[in-house]
Amino acid sequence: MTTQPLAQPKKKKTVWHTIAAQKELIIMSVPLLLYKILFSYVPVVGWTMAFQNYKPAVRSFWKQEWVGFDNFVKLFVGLNGERFLRDLRNTLGQSFLTIVLGYIGSISLALLLNEVKNIKFKKVVQNITYMPHFLSWVIVAGLVSTMLAIPTSGGIINDVLIRLGLIKEPIMFLSEPKYFWWIVACSNLWKEMGWNTIIYLAAMTAIDPTLYEAAVIDGANRYQKMWHITLPGIKSTIVVLLIMNVGHILEAGFEIQYFLGNGLVVEMAEIIDIFVLRYGIQMGNYSLATAAGIFKTVVSIILISMANFIAGRLGEEKLV
Amino acid sequence: MKKFVSLLLVMLLVLTMAACQPASKDTTQGNETTTPTKGATDENKGGNEQKTGLPVLSPDNPVTISVWTTTNSSAPADDNKLTKLLKERLGVTINYEIIPTDNADQKIGVLLAGGEYADLMGTTDLNIRLITGGALIPLDDYLTEDKANLLFEHVRPYWNRLATDAGDGEKHIYVLPNYNRFYGEIVGGTHYGASGFWIQKHVLEDAGYPNVDNMTLERYFELIENYARKYPTIDGMPTIGFEILCAPGREWVLTNPPQYIAGHPNNGGVIVDENNVASIFADKDIAKRYYKYLNQMNAKGLVDKESFTQTNDQYLSKLATGRVLGMYDQRWAFGQAYDALVAEGKYERTWVSTMPVYEGCTPYYADREVMNINQGYGISVSCKNPDVVVSFLNTMMSEEWQKIFNWGIEGEDYLVDENGRYYRTPEMREQQKDLVWRSKNRLEALYDNMPKYQGTYSDGNADGPGNQPEEFFESLSDYDKNFLTSYGKKTWRDFLNQPPDNPVYYPCWNIHLPDGSEAQMASQQLTDISIQYLPKIIMADPSEFENLWAQYVNEIKKVNIKAYEDAINAGIQERIMNWGGGR
Repeated sequence: MTTQPLAQPKKKKTVWHTIAAQKELIIMSVPLLLYKILFSYVPVVGWTMAFQNYKPAVRSFWKQEWVGFDNFVKLFVGLNGERFLRDLRNTLGQSFLTIVLGYIGSISLALLLNEVKNIKFKKVVQNITYMPHFLSWVIVAGLVSTMLAIPTSGGIINDVLIRLGLIKEPIMFLSEPKYFWWIVACSNLWKEMGWNTIIYLAAMTAIDPTLYEAAVIDGANRYQKMWHITLPGIKSTIVVLLIMNVGHILEAGFEIQYFLGNGLVVEMAEIIDIFVLRYGIQMGNYSLATAAGIFKTVVSIILISMANFIAGRLGEEKLV
Repeated sequence: MKKFVSLLLVMLLVLTMAACQPASKDTTQGNETTTPTKGATDENKGGNEQKTGLPVLSPDNPVTISVWTTTNSSAPADDNKLTKLLKERLGVTINYEIIPTDNADQKIGVLLAGGEYADLMGTTDLNIRLITGGALIPLDDYLTEDKANLLFEHVRPYWNRLATDAGDGEKHIYVLPNYNRFYGEIVGGTHYGASGFWIQKHVLEDAGYPNVDNMTLERYFELIENYARKYPTIDGMPTIGFEILCAPGREWVLTNPPQYIAGHPNNGGVIVDENNVASIFADKDIAKRYYKYLNQMNAKGLVDKESFTQTNDQYLSKLATGRVLGMYDQRWAFGQAYDALVAEGKYERTWVSTMPVYEGCTPYYADREVMNINQGYGISVSCKNPDVVVSFLNTMMSEEWQKIFNWGIEGEDYLVDENGRYYRTPEMREQQKDLVWRSKNRLEALYDNMPKYQGTYSDGNADGPGNQPEEFFESLSDYDKNFLTSYGKKTWRDFLNQPPDNPVYYPCWNIHLPDGSEAQMASQQLTDISIQYLPKIIMADPSEFENLWAQYVNEIKKVNIKAYEDAINAGIQERIMNWGGGR
């Protein structure tokens, strides 16, 4: 207890000392901070649009008509409400499926690649699997729609299935609502699987090789090593990525639903971003679009805090 | 979210920039150009003289005009002949941004949020959002006898019809109408650009040129079915009986036909009765009959399975293969596919229009050409030098330039005979069919939304070769000549009904529903229900039809149809009161 009065001024001093010692770092971080403020916080001012009946012709902010929560009411009530909630369900469903498939796919691929001893073969596989990441979604959507078409329009999947005798009539993948979520998830898997393995492979290199040696001495086979050493070794990476992904769960993409969606599958295909485009921007209803955007942000923040909290409880790394 | 945040940011930036901009918009260039230069005045030797109230364009004073235009035409080639001509004679360089019509609505939404526009905005925006969104400047001050005299003449008789309220309670002219403002004697009537149930010429030829008057849906599909049975493949690809499209912006291909079959003209989503009262027909019996019939035809395998999943581009390329026997569409909308078939010499694979109706109904597919309202070029608020742009449009409106756009260059693209009549040699006609040649020698993308001199020029020639009667017949291929003769008809137009006078309010499809209004919302919801349910209804097993139809009607009941019908009816009444009268 007697040391405390002495420690107090000393502690104060250290804060300033630290700042002085790190002044270069602080100066370097200023532009980044400004960038964040300018691009992430200042635009939040635009949220006021959600409480106005915003008209672009009235250029002055102060002359806009204020309508309170009208736009939020419009968003959740009546036919619009039905549509919005349906789109919310689709967004969550597609996102969830994409994340689950994506995780299983990229982690298994990373585990398999990690076991490949022939470096050349490993590199070739890695290159091939991550190439699609660099394709634009427009092109991917075009490829997917051709692949899934009927054989006479170049639908290779139907062609193969028919030749194998698995089906008689071609399946109309893009006109059946029940396939749509899977089409989105599988396209995402195809495009991003290879790219996502990179981070896991990096995490795997950090695992202490002596653990494997010890396991071999204990008589573990390859699968046991994967299960008991490699996977636990990258567990914290998996959890951190999962938290980050939960924050993005309301962003199920945009392009693929936009290009592949059509009237027949709209009930499963339309997501919030497309709702915003069609009922907000396309119809000049910017306020409604903003209200939907605010809702999305709020839900994302809640989800990410929950995931973070749970991760903390499970004794894992937390993001914040 | 990222997109959304960046959108907000863009808006914010624009708002700040707008606030910082100096009030004066006169730039030095504008002042320079007001001094008339000799040489340029000599250029305008057309039928009309250009007056002096505007800057005169000349090569000594080069200007660049940016053009944003919604059109189905593709961009001109870099070495385009007319692009060079504009540069040489007027010093005008055009920068294009071409928007396919099916993306226009979204593009406009994004543009308005950004608030930055090209100088010339070529719009087919039915919701007049560019006007109410404050994107266009009123042109009234320019449209006078001593300024843009030719443009003034273009709008003068129709002033009340064209003047639009942008939301400030005053009516101004913002957009110069692009089509169907006629001058002189209305000639031609050879072309038909609008609606019909199109049928491939070879189907009719193969059936021995059956009579296509008094067409019914049953006979139309019978012809298609017989042909499809006889020729299961065309050029090695499976024959497609009937094609439908419901891509964004083109949903009307799916939703419009019932009104025609019931003997009404195109009023968009409504039918107007003899008391000038409009009501929707999407859930009525006339619609049910049509979709039930399509459902049965689908069960027979005559409807393309990919109809409802394809985009507009996929639809057009499918049509261009020549294996589609029939579809409902408007001629202008599938023109690219038609031209592609002509360029390949596959005349027998192109289509001719028929008019199926229910028994007891009189076809009213063809209407009297109505002047487009709020379609065409307007000048944006971002334009630094509206004087120059108005002057450009006014110059383009001269007979000399109109002839260049339509006929081409004398001696190169057409010749003049001893009577002063314009004609083309067979080689000249042939090259006009080549799409690549056209991209190098014509400026269709720019001209599409331009005010046009339709009818006859002061020298008696028709506005373009297609409407010059003698030229029209000569330009037909042998196949088409033979086809028309077999039917005892002279033009494509002869396959259609003789249109009666249009009702005053006609057409309802361009009645504007204000942004954010209940009516607009209802209209959008109605369309959305249609594109969600009608494809299902058509593709379903016939036994499920009644059930699905009931669901569809039930969904429509949830929409505030009254708001939509009220808005349309108010529009009709307003037009009956105010239309007519010019300046």
